[in-house]
Amino acid sequence: MKSSGTTELNTFYPIKPECQADVPATRFKPRAGKTLSQRRWQASFSQDGHLDIAKVLRRIQRGGVHPSIKGEVWEFLLGCYDPNSTLEERNELKQRRRGQYDMWKAECQKMVPVIGSGKFITTPLIDDEGQPIDPSLVGVQTSDKKVVQWMQLLHQIGLDVHRTDRALDFYETEANQAKLFHVLAVYAWLDNDIGYVQGMNDICSPLIILVENEADCYWCFDRAMRRMRENFRSSASSMGVQSQLATLSQIMKTVDPKLHHHLEDLDGGEYLFAFRMLMVLFRREFSFADTLYLWELMWAMEYNPYIFTKYEDPDRAKTKGPSPATNNKHLKQYGKFERKNVKTGHTEENSALSVFLVASVLEIKNRRILNEAKGVDDVVKILGDITSNLDAKKALNEALKIQKKYLSKAKKA
Amino acid sequence: MGAYRADEDYDYLFKVVLIGDSGVGKSNLLSRFTKNEFSLESKSTIGVEFATRSIRVDDKVLKAQIWDTAGQERYRAITSAYYRGAVGALLVYDVTRHVTFENVERWLKELRDHTDANIVVMLVGNKADLRHLRAVSTEETTNFAEREKTFFMETSALESLNVESAFTEVLTQIYHVVSKKALEIGDDPAALPKGQTINVGSRDDASAVKKDGCCSA
Repeated sequence: MKSSGTTELNTFYPIKPECQADVPATRFKPRAGKTLSQRRWQASFSQDGHLDIAKVLRRIQRGGVHPSIKGEVWEFLLGCYDPNSTLEERNELKQRRRGQYDMWKAECQKMVPVIGSGKFITTPLIDDEGQPIDPSLVGVQTSDKKVVQWMQLLHQIGLDVHRTDRALDFYETEANQAKLFHVLAVYAWLDNDIGYVQGMNDICSPLIILVENEADCYWCFDRAMRRMRENFRSSASSMGVQSQLATLSQIMKTVDPKLHHHLEDLDGGEYLFAFRMLMVLFRREFSFADTLYLWELMWAMEYNPYIFTKYEDPDRAKTKGPSPATNNKHLKQYGKFERKNVKTGHTEENSALSVFLVASVLEIKNRRILNEAKGVDDVVKILGDITSNLDAKKALNEALKIQKKYLSKAKKA
Repeated sequence: MGAYRADEDYDYLFKVVLIGDSGVGKSNLLSRFTKNEFSLESKSTIGVEFATRSIRVDDKVLKAQIWDTAGQERYRAITSAYYRGAVGALLVYDVTRHVTFENVERWLKELRDHTDANIVVMLVGNKADLRHLRAVSTEETTNFAEREKTFFMETSALESLNVESAFTEVLTQIYHVVSKKALEIGDDPAALPKGQTINVGSRDDASAVKKDGCCSA
């Protein structure tokens, strides 16, 4: 049985008929009076384009964003634009960024001509020694380590693009798949520290669908990665996300020592079973439409009015950081989660809202884990049951409660 | 202990890992074996996922706990943590992409660096249904498997070809290794490692565990 909400969402993010049965059910429904609507969004801008971000955040945290405007709203939530700017300033910035992206893409295309052709590759371009496997596919002969490393990643991006959200109609066209490929390839070229790691495709895909212009997608993805890129850092002995897992362990030890010790007894004290949730921000636990809802709630709750400056002009952001004596009106420009951090002076980088969200999921399953889990495999199984059974907003509100508890206990300790 | 999970009683619990290059079909082999499902829209594996299934060999119930791993090199720090305690491995390559076969050697080394010498390894050439695209011949792998003393089978998760046999063969071989071991140590059940078998990142290298109490009757 499908509710009308699901039917409406299906027109925004159509699922291939043969895949209907395989994807998790969607719970999100745009609700009048709660969800940020197109009309209300437009009414939140002043004459010259300044955005009343406090008003918008309040709405989003109550009921998400209507599918018709998600892309443009997300650009603000992710920090691509300053709400305290004019429409003209933003248009100017947008044009500049598009030009910049085109230049980077041309740079990539010079090395690998398939980029920009509307097609993409799934087989390796060069061998272990950096020699081209098919010389017609490689535009430059080089031993430059940066170039070689990047080229070695491209077929992995292609392999993953080929199987990203394939239940959605959107990716039936090669042009849309290529759009995802381009953004990931250009990103990997510029952020060669991280390059490309599986899972980044899952983060990028919704942006490709919601934001029409490819260059604009790139900038959204770049901003999203600013929050998450450390998770994707990998070495021979560890992965970056393990810092977040360590924070999770710390949080659980503080707010629910009994459960934490039980998990430790099962040799699950490293919380590796939460690995995927943090890496791809719960994409596998929610349907596509519900992920969008979850993410916009999270990003609204994590919103910091200095986010744009922090990314655009890091030096200036340091001098202009939030003062402790922030007044009430100013505090309303923060999301619920970030506001609490600012108030308590808590600035731990690894304690993102997503980490508290995992904690809230563990709390939901607290009893079953304590009673039934005799090994880490059981924990994985019990957590697997949350797929499409989780209410994004409820779970996030629980996460906020855990944050409150954690901050007050951590303060006392 | 007897009351716990009475509905899925088993005599042996074996930890098996699925490894190999990205996109060779590891996850679909697993879902074919454990759920008889195959999906053309399946997503890449992030980190490690797992599923279980029990089979009967002789008069014993063997429960396989199969850990499916991400293929990308970057994930190796996480995935190799799951090798510990594995008694079997299916090392998968794609018969239509020769490079995935070339990498088998690297995978094998990696596996042998992290696991017990007695581990049962099966090379699995998947996507055998794509006959017109074949790039790795059966002889090539047969020679390699003989040299490396591994088992070998070609499968198609899509057509459900040999998937059952590949897993069953691995589990049966593990069972033989374990029962031989039991025989060598005088069939003294107390000599078999006991307790928690499968631990993520555990120091415990228990290879196979006979569940307490189940064989006393």
